[in-house]
Amino acid sequence: MSKISRRWIALAAAALALVLAPPAVVAQTKLVVGNAGGSSADAERKVFYGPFASANKITIQEESFNQELAKIRSQVETGNLIWDMVSTTAINVATGCEEGLLEKVDWSKYFDPKVFRDVGGVSECGVPYLFVSGGLAYDGNRIKEAPKSWADFWNVRKWPGKRGLLYRAEQTFEIALMADGVPPAKAMEVLAAPGGPDRALKKLDEIKPHIHWWKNGAESINLLASGEVAMAYAWNGRVASANKTNNLNLKMELGAGHVSGCQYWAIMKGSKNKELAIKFIQYAVMAQNQADFVRVISYGPANRDAYALLSDQEKATLPGQHLDKASLQLGKLYLGFWLANGDSLLQRFVKFAAQ
Amino acid sequence: MARPAHATVLERATHVGVRALSVLVLGYLVLPIVVVLPLSFTSGELLVYPLPAWSLRWYREFTTAPDWTRALWNSTVLAVVTTVVATAVGLLAALGLQSLRSRLKPALYGLLALPLVIPHVMVAVALFYYYARLGLVGSFAGLVMAHTVLALPFVIITIAATLQGFDVNLPRAAASLGASPLQTFRMVTLPLILPGVISGAVFAFVTSFDELLVILFVGSPEQRTLPRQIWSGVSETMSPAVVAAAVVLIGVSLLLMAVVELLRRRGERLRGATRP
Amino acid sequence: MLALVAPSVLFIALFFVAPLGLFLYRSIDNSEVPGWLPRTTAALASWSGEGLPDEPAFRAVAEDLAALSGSTALPLLGRRLNHNIPGFRGLITGTGGRVDLAKPGRMREQLIAIDARWGEPAYWQTIRRERHVVTPFYLLSALDLRYGASGAIERAPAESAIFLGLLGRTLAISLVVTGLCVLLGFPLAVTMAGASPARANALLILVLIPFWTSLLVRSTAWVILLQNSGVVNQLLVGLGLAQKPIPLIFNRVGLYIAMVHVLLPFMVLPLYSVLRNIPPELMRAAASLGAPPAVAFLRVYVPQALPGLVAGASLVFVLALGYYVTPALVGGPGDQMIGYFIAYFTNTAVNWGMASALGTLLLLVVALIYLALGRVVGLNRLAVR
Repeated sequence: MSKISRRWIALAAAALALVLAPPAVVAQTKLVVGNAGGSSADAERKVFYGPFASANKITIQEESFNQELAKIRSQVETGNLIWDMVSTTAINVATGCEEGLLEKVDWSKYFDPKVFRDVGGVSECGVPYLFVSGGLAYDGNRIKEAPKSWADFWNVRKWPGKRGLLYRAEQTFEIALMADGVPPAKAMEVLAAPGGPDRALKKLDEIKPHIHWWKNGAESINLLASGEVAMAYAWNGRVASANKTNNLNLKMELGAGHVSGCQYWAIMKGSKNKELAIKFIQYAVMAQNQADFVRVISYGPANRDAYALLSDQEKATLPGQHLDKASLQLGKLYLGFWLANGDSLLQRFVKFAAQ
Repeated sequence: MARPAHATVLERATHVGVRALSVLVLGYLVLPIVVVLPLSFTSGELLVYPLPAWSLRWYREFTTAPDWTRALWNSTVLAVVTTVVATAVGLLAALGLQSLRSRLKPALYGLLALPLVIPHVMVAVALFYYYARLGLVGSFAGLVMAHTVLALPFVIITIAATLQGFDVNLPRAAASLGASPLQTFRMVTLPLILPGVISGAVFAFVTSFDELLVILFVGSPEQRTLPRQIWSGVSETMSPAVVAAAVVLIGVSLLLMAVVELLRRRGERLRGATRP
Repeated sequence: MLALVAPSVLFIALFFVAPLGLFLYRSIDNSEVPGWLPRTTAALASWSGEGLPDEPAFRAVAEDLAALSGSTALPLLGRRLNHNIPGFRGLITGTGGRVDLAKPGRMREQLIAIDARWGEPAYWQTIRRERHVVTPFYLLSALDLRYGASGAIERAPAESAIFLGLLGRTLAISLVVTGLCVLLGFPLAVTMAGASPARANALLILVLIPFWTSLLVRSTAWVILLQNSGVVNQLLVGLGLAQKPIPLIFNRVGLYIAMVHVLLPFMVLPLYSVLRNIPPELMRAAASLGAPPAVAFLRVYVPQALPGLVAGASLVFVLALGYYVTPALVGGPGDQMIGYFIAYFTNTAVNWGMASALGTLLLLVVALIYLALGRVVGLNRLAVR
């Protein structure tokens, strides 16, 4: 072997060693949070992340997380933690807790769990921090005669234009059943009964050519704001904050029936910053901060004590008075059904959407 | 040349038709890129013409918002390190392959070109599973390795192409005159193949700089690059800042394209001069 | 001299071949089931598969599940078997927490009392079929096949049969895109080859500009241009060519427009390099021998151009097959290709076996095309950029 190649190999090896050397460590403690992005992340940053980070002299880093459980799983199962905590849904909390992907915490050591009872209570692995309602939304400047029900949403003759719906089986199936005349409170029951998913799909099929599927919350608002769709299924906080910050006139008709549940904070199993994350959660669910959060984005507070701090005017922006029109994303029936059938229904749904 | 008159008319018509179609196709290729660029200079928030007014507002956002500045920095660092590693490793391989007289040669070429033919989404997903096991998800080294693998074929092919037109008698002459192998390489071989090496390096840089899928699957939040940031912009909130970032990407690519083209033409001229 | 090549080979082996190999292996990997149900899988090996198994099998499953109780392996096992039968997860997790090994009496009665599904043969047959460390389950699913109650392979029910359609769609989109690239690329390449060197170089630059612009940026540009309020629709409505905006995005039309744009240079460049070397004298000779231009073109020019056409078309086709970014941005749900579902099963559905099976399918198609074309064009021609 010639001298050249040996030298080159040495050089290449040196370059490799340089590359493989661990990157410089950051001095400040960092909490990495997976959240839903868009205006809800903006609100969280303003009320939770910013003040908490500066009070504790840490940095909080965000990454977008559209509830793909795989993102949590691959980090935990391989011991490759990138995130410390996530903002996630009831199903993911239940699944992640069972599969050991999330830390179990005795929350009663940090706050009184009773204040969350109205929204289904805390789980071992997660604490609810906002109550979100997904419902019928439209642009009040574009639509003169207000749609009143999901049947109206389905009526593409009277209200021409595309319809924005969430590209998931969960929530969308419940909405389809409401459009088919099922009372919102019974939607889960009908869905879980034999033939429920078929009925939902059949209903969706009626307006299929008119559906524009959206995948994350920011998208739903953009579709409404740009007029790309005439009506959309959207989450109330994002609608309210779009009206506030972008001066839009989006309206929601929660009386038509809606799908409502909590978003939870949960800690990734094995996080090195577990104590800090607990401290953060403690901070974020305090009544005062919950009330501030409501003022920014109009999602309902999970901590019932926050209501006392809100003015009547502020309370009026919340979907509280329509709770009888909700299909709730909590309880045994809901969790059991989606845990067992979530994968296969999602596959059916994807197939349906692709046809 | 005697040809029936009607054929000439037909021929001309075809000729004109083909040319007209070519112009249309060229328009289709270039116009979309050209038309989108000015939208980044809007003073408004919407990506439509007419622009309310010209403004550098979104470039200001691009150069000051931490998300974008960090992305630009990450992209640059990653691409530079990838370029160094891929060019060094690829140059060695090209030199080795050139003087290799073995039946292994085609097989080796095939192996080294493999990353070109496998869809990148598969490579990215496979690396995700693999890195997850090795604890390399979110590591800088992991990204460099992945980008190096994707860039290597371009480097090797480009340098190998230069070496094909390389007169092997030159280093032999140098050696017979008493130059050491390293001297021969530095003073004879390298200057001659340098244009190829630079082109290869440029390809490596662009491959890494424009790469999205690997970052999407194995990058961590601090490692967001420009393409990754553009991707989340398009799938969430499309603001003119996204277009400003795209303009930067285009600018870098076209600059590097100019480098490669100049080198290629220079090579063609030189070859044309030495070999009539 | 091999030592010089070694670092590259090492790189490719460690960071390309190994990851891909391991990824593809996941499409048949089934170590979880025999690993977590060692007694059950052993007990079921000798079972005929008819009716219900004997008491030892019930005892074995009870012991296996009791051993996993409280650990995270239990729900993971449930999730794995849930891929075969929806609801299996609940059966596994529900039984694991409640089974009592010390309780007197037959285990069969106890298990059926805990959950009546233990009295259904389908669940037992599934465990029996999945008792080996490898399984054809995912690959069969990727072809819309499954094991029926009788143990024979049958077509999956229509509601879950999605993958053959997906494969067909992927092939169809790639074919149409390739066809359009040939139609648009051929005249352009002919013009370039016939132009003076200076003009040819200028035209080449115009082709190279999109070629060098990142795929993501070009797809983004199309998203901006094609939306309802986008430039294209503004133009169409403004010129009176359309009454109201035409839906051009999130559908097949938009996908074709964007994908052809992205892939056209891959057609034009190899084709141009071939056409450039066809001596113009050939056509003149044909003409002077009396061949009408159309005949001369078809019988003299096209055969000469064929290697370039084949190289460009196959390159475009193979690249199109694996596309992910452009369809994800510009297409609707009905326009997504295999690459999208590989990402989807990795990221969203957490079904890694399925992601891998689809990857295997895609790779197989790509490999077949290369094998078929390998002799015609040679791989080196495909490496343009």
